[in-house]
Amino acid sequence: MVMVYEHMEVLVRRALFLWVSFFQNSLTRDMEFKANFLGGLFVDLVYYSVYFFLFNVIYSYVDTLGVFSRQDIMIFLVVCYLADTCDMFFFSGNIFSLNQLMVKGELDFFLLKPVDSQFITSLRKVRAYALANFIILLALLIRQIYFYPNNIALINISLFILSFIMGILLWYSVDFIIASTCFWFKNFSVSGWLSHEILKFSSRPDSIYTGFMRKILFSLMPMTLIASVPTRFLLYGPDWDLFLWQLFITIIFLFSSRVVWHRGLLRYESASS
Amino acid sequence: MKSWLIKYFSVVRMTWIQTLEYKANALVGTFAIFSGLFIEFLIWKQVFQAQNINEIRGFTFNGLMVYIFLCMIVGQLKSSWATSMEMIDSIRTGELNKYLIRPISFFTYHFMMFIGHNSLFYIVYTIVIILFPILIPGWCFHTKIQIVGFIISLGISIYLSYTIYFCMVCFAFWFGEVRSLVIAYNIANSILSGQIIPLRLFPEGAREIIFLTPIQYLVDFPVSIATGNLPIEFWIPKMAMALLWCCIITITGRILYGYGIRAYGGFGA
Repeated sequence: MVMVYEHMEVLVRRALFLWVSFFQNSLTRDMEFKANFLGGLFVDLVYYSVYFFLFNVIYSYVDTLGVFSRQDIMIFLVVCYLADTCDMFFFSGNIFSLNQLMVKGELDFFLLKPVDSQFITSLRKVRAYALANFIILLALLIRQIYFYPNNIALINISLFILSFIMGILLWYSVDFIIASTCFWFKNFSVSGWLSHEILKFSSRPDSIYTGFMRKILFSLMPMTLIASVPTRFLLYGPDWDLFLWQLFITIIFLFSSRVVWHRGLLRYESASS
Repeated sequence: MKSWLIKYFSVVRMTWIQTLEYKANALVGTFAIFSGLFIEFLIWKQVFQAQNINEIRGFTFNGLMVYIFLCMIVGQLKSSWATSMEMIDSIRTGELNKYLIRPISFFTYHFMMFIGHNSLFYIVYTIVIILFPILIPGWCFHTKIQIVGFIISLGISIYLSYTIYFCMVCFAFWFGEVRSLVIAYNIANSILSGQIIPLRLFPEGAREIIFLTPIQYLVDFPVSIATGNLPIEFWIPKMAMALLWCCIITITGRILYGYGIRAYGGFGA
């Protein structure tokens, strides 16, 4: 048992050390192309503004969408943006280019490295500009929580943080599984677009989904667990059944991403595939 | 003129053959439209039920859904951001040289490529649009003239949209990296052109600003003709205005390209 624990500790330490190196490399590269850095910020600013505008238009015709009032939805949107920013920061730059790596055979370089192939293909590029967004959005979320009319307890915040992390991992898993299907399709250049369309379901409050669709979005396609459920924990307090369910689904999806990746690698034929 | 047509038709045909190899694009595009429509359906259903109303600013629930459905189709047909990315890359990497030494226009060549790439979408969505009034009659294309008006306004919308993208692409001559500008425009445009929520539901102030720009002719105009939301007497003046915008932006694009080509180094950035 002690041996296993020590081995795990070494693995985690090594992974952290590697990720810090990836981050330093990416930051250096991003700083060389400052226009890209500022451009990324600009795009996100536009994205946030238009979606705030969209929900403002909807809420000019209605007071609540299910349990979500106008103030709740503003917090929900900030949580959505934070999830998107975290995905951008850690994963999106890598997963987006997976199809190209497979088609051109460049995946060989990562498979030959003495490191877990899923780890390096998922995390080697870090979009440093997302860090600036993250800080701005976090400040905005704190401000929204501060001015929220009801009291938000510490347990809500703690549960929100855990649930939010699980949401990010779910986002990553879904995105990665879709991108990994390129091994079967040989060239699936629109996988990013498909992911985006599926993940769009997470950027709307779960209260709009009812019946069979709601069940699907809480299980097989767990989009509501990405931003809606963390927002619920933050605003309306703990729901332990839901929390455990989210944990279960996250583990299942992370495991599935691993299975799909390894199955996919068996079909990889290098540059000729 | 004949040689011009043969030349550029070859480009359309070439990209059309390439596009046929990637049928997944049309499948994902169709999924995007139906998933987007489904989300809007759920949101607006809640709005109508919660407020217990039958109409919002002249839109019944079904009317609104038809409107959003057509908006999503038009929005996808007119969006040439993928072609714009290729154009930006060719300016950045010096690939533009091949257009300069050949009797081919950078603007027209990519426009034809855009038409070719989108051809699969045109076929799929035309089938959807034809089936729609047959399966669910009475919500759009009430008269034959509406079909003609829709096709003409859609053509104007596609060209106008391309010229706007072209103007943004031309900034790559000076700034190199303008992909962010194109992406930001694309995101903003998806909302502000009425692709997700009809312009009629926007606040008065926002609508007044949008009506000063060519954005209203990109999605709202063709769809309003198709659904009968725009009275026939406004079609000609609106089309004239849209064509005027096409001329203004085409000329702006030409000027920008003319100045840009002087600043162009002809080597990879």
